[in-house]
Amino acid sequence: MDKMITKSESINQKRWKKFKSIKRGYYSFIALVTLYILSLFLPLFINSKALLVKYEGSYYLPAIVDAIPGLNSYYDGSIFNQDIAGEANFRHLQRKWKGTNNWVIMPLYPFNPYEDITNNESKMYEAPSSTHWFGTDDTGRDVFARMCYAFNISISFAFILTVLNYIIGVSIGGAMGYFGGKFDLFFQRLIEIWSSMPLLFVVIIISSILEPTFVLLIFIYTLVNWIFLTYYMRAEFYREKSKDYVSAAISMGQSNTKIIFKHILPNSLVPVITYFPFSMVGGILVLVSLDFLGFGLAPPTPSWGQILYVGLSNITKWWMVFAPIMAQFFTLLSIVFIGEAIREAFDPKIYSRLR
Amino acid sequence: MFNYVIRRLLLMVPTFLGATLLVFVILQMAPGGPLEKTVMQMQKGAPSGGGASEGGASGNSSSSSGTLLPKRALKELERFYGFDKPIWQRYLIWLGVWPREIKHRNVSFKLGENEKKKNMGKRRFAYIKREGSSLSVFDKEGKPSTLWKARFDMDISDEEIENFENLKNQGKLSEIKKLEATVYETEFSGVLTGNLGKSYTYQQPVTEVMKPRFKVSIMLGLTGWIIAYLVCIPLGIKKALRHGSRFDLISSVIVFMAYSIPGWAFGGVLLVLFGGGSFWDVFPLGGLHSPQEVWQDLSFFGKVLDQIHHAILPIIAWTIGSFASLTVLMKNSLLDNMSQDYIRTAFAKGLSEKRVIWVHAIRNSIIPIASGIGYIIATIIAGSYFIEMIFNINGFGKMGYQAILDRDYPITMGFLVVAVLIRLIANLLSDLALAAVDPRIRFK
Repeated sequence: MDKMITKSESINQKRWKKFKSIKRGYYSFIALVTLYILSLFLPLFINSKALLVKYEGSYYLPAIVDAIPGLNSYYDGSIFNQDIAGEANFRHLQRKWKGTNNWVIMPLYPFNPYEDITNNESKMYEAPSSTHWFGTDDTGRDVFARMCYAFNISISFAFILTVLNYIIGVSIGGAMGYFGGKFDLFFQRLIEIWSSMPLLFVVIIISSILEPTFVLLIFIYTLVNWIFLTYYMRAEFYREKSKDYVSAAISMGQSNTKIIFKHILPNSLVPVITYFPFSMVGGILVLVSLDFLGFGLAPPTPSWGQILYVGLSNITKWWMVFAPIMAQFFTLLSIVFIGEAIREAFDPKIYSRLR
Repeated sequence: MFNYVIRRLLLMVPTFLGATLLVFVILQMAPGGPLEKTVMQMQKGAPSGGGASEGGASGNSSSSSGTLLPKRALKELERFYGFDKPIWQRYLIWLGVWPREIKHRNVSFKLGENEKKKNMGKRRFAYIKREGSSLSVFDKEGKPSTLWKARFDMDISDEEIENFENLKNQGKLSEIKKLEATVYETEFSGVLTGNLGKSYTYQQPVTEVMKPRFKVSIMLGLTGWIIAYLVCIPLGIKKALRHGSRFDLISSVIVFMAYSIPGWAFGGVLLVLFGGGSFWDVFPLGGLHSPQEVWQDLSFFGKVLDQIHHAILPIIAWTIGSFASLTVLMKNSLLDNMSQDYIRTAFAKGLSEKRVIWVHAIRNSIIPIASGIGYIIATIIAGSYFIEMIFNINGFGKMGYQAILDRDYPITMGFLVVAVLIRLIANLLSDLALAAVDPRIRFK
């Protein structure tokens, strides 16, 4: 560190610059975030409900209503003079009204992830084609539509899971290192018990009993998974606590909360942040694994693991193996790229090689 | 060092108890356990079972009034699954520090009857005497028996039993014709004595069920890990030595890809491609060897080839699972060391590059790999569910998974015991391995 007295950038600005300079990480980041934000509006892009219907002079917006939670988006077939039981089939209407005054604008991909063979157009095990890009599954549901919805669920799951794990792991680990004593000892024993158990097995046991929902599954997995950060945070807080700046803060009469959150935490957070993307990779893999085993989210929920399970039980239906694995692969790959770039940006370890 | 190992071993005891207790309680408290499952099956099977009380999940209580089973049968079922005791006793029995009741015999005392003789098997007889509400068991010499015990199993109070005849004469308790009791033997048998119980589904002792499956998993896992080490360590070293070269970049891409796809999912891809579904029919779809009728006729050499043929895909899947992390670990560790001062010194004093790398740098960079040994052993067990599921191998992981589905508690707990023990020992082993490789580390 020689003279660095130029117009100083803050350390975070520098990190961001460095991160941007690592192209594959940066572009992966942009791509993933864009895709995720788009996936929040999936009902507008991938849906069997029409975006806009004009029928007998009045307009309907089924897909948009569908995208807003809490609104009733059920349109009976009889509204559009369609002779079927139950909900209107907009794909059918689009074909039927060709050349008339009435028209239908369908979303980009006019299938929804729950449409099974009870819908008379769907067939089981249809190979990929221009209508069903990734074919259909064992109950005639469109695999591409399911995969897109599953993308949203997987990322949300992994993100919420990781954030929760971080909050719990950092606070308990930090408290263990900072306060020490009986508190530390108690949690050390607890962590030892936790880390000696085959955690996935325990999760499977619990979810075989409880039949988990999204929230419940996150809760269960957080319950078994929070310990991994505590190791690191405990050691870090323990080390930082003995440093002079903490002694100074204590002698100035700072409260414990302030010392923990204002002084020690920012100093020990960097490695934890760089680990975040890899932790998310873990979260996505867990959801896929649990869904694959049938102990994940309850059945009709679209999920990569469930498609993969169907594919592997019908080995000739290769699209149901390749599609979810590819989706998972590219998602994880981009997260790994992001993680790699973040690590580089936060922790610029320059490897010098002699000779 | 010796003291350290002893202390670690002692610390394992509370950890083991804590882990098993936790899962035991979860399992036993869970609704829809084996008892309810059996009761439901029996009711469905019963001819008069109109299904009126189907699916009556009323907890583990014996008072499920809706069941069509006679009380006696329900009681016997409860006894079979051990649900007739409070949960702490069940755990202690399972551990083997509380007497387990076995060889139950039903005894019933008619009105006015005070003594009964009961065959306890192998021509041994127990003599049960009733005095009021207390039962005592004697052997054939007339001494109080140490082996057998007896108790009433009816829902009436001691007081009522005491005055049974009086009450009976007064016309109360008229529905009770006789007093029912149980004679049983007790023994200490549980985890500590090596008895993990009997599987509900296989009708075999758990240890017998586990043994062959455990062998299969260990074989697969060990082969997978040995191959992973043989590939990853040289690869990591080469990547480190040629850091930034084209070789490094290309292999990095492969490493990234391997990291983004779990081993079992990759196994699935392999299976679709080479399992003969819609692409190439090169490898078998699953199992560890050909079907029995083919397998029997093979020569020894043929059997070996057949097994290798079946094991190739699973082992590749296994190896991929640890490929990325192991390679990166080796590479980073070596790179770290190569930029250290002692390497500079070694070069400065004129040692050859070969010697510097292979003697000085490698030795230090292998340390983190050595400490991973415990982790490896642990994953041999934990990571095996998926690969065994996909390749349909009857291994240890698949057994554990199936046991959860079947609510086969003895096997579930047995699986847990083995997994926890392996993990505990593996952790210790990896610390010891660390000390063995790194002379700077001394445990106190």
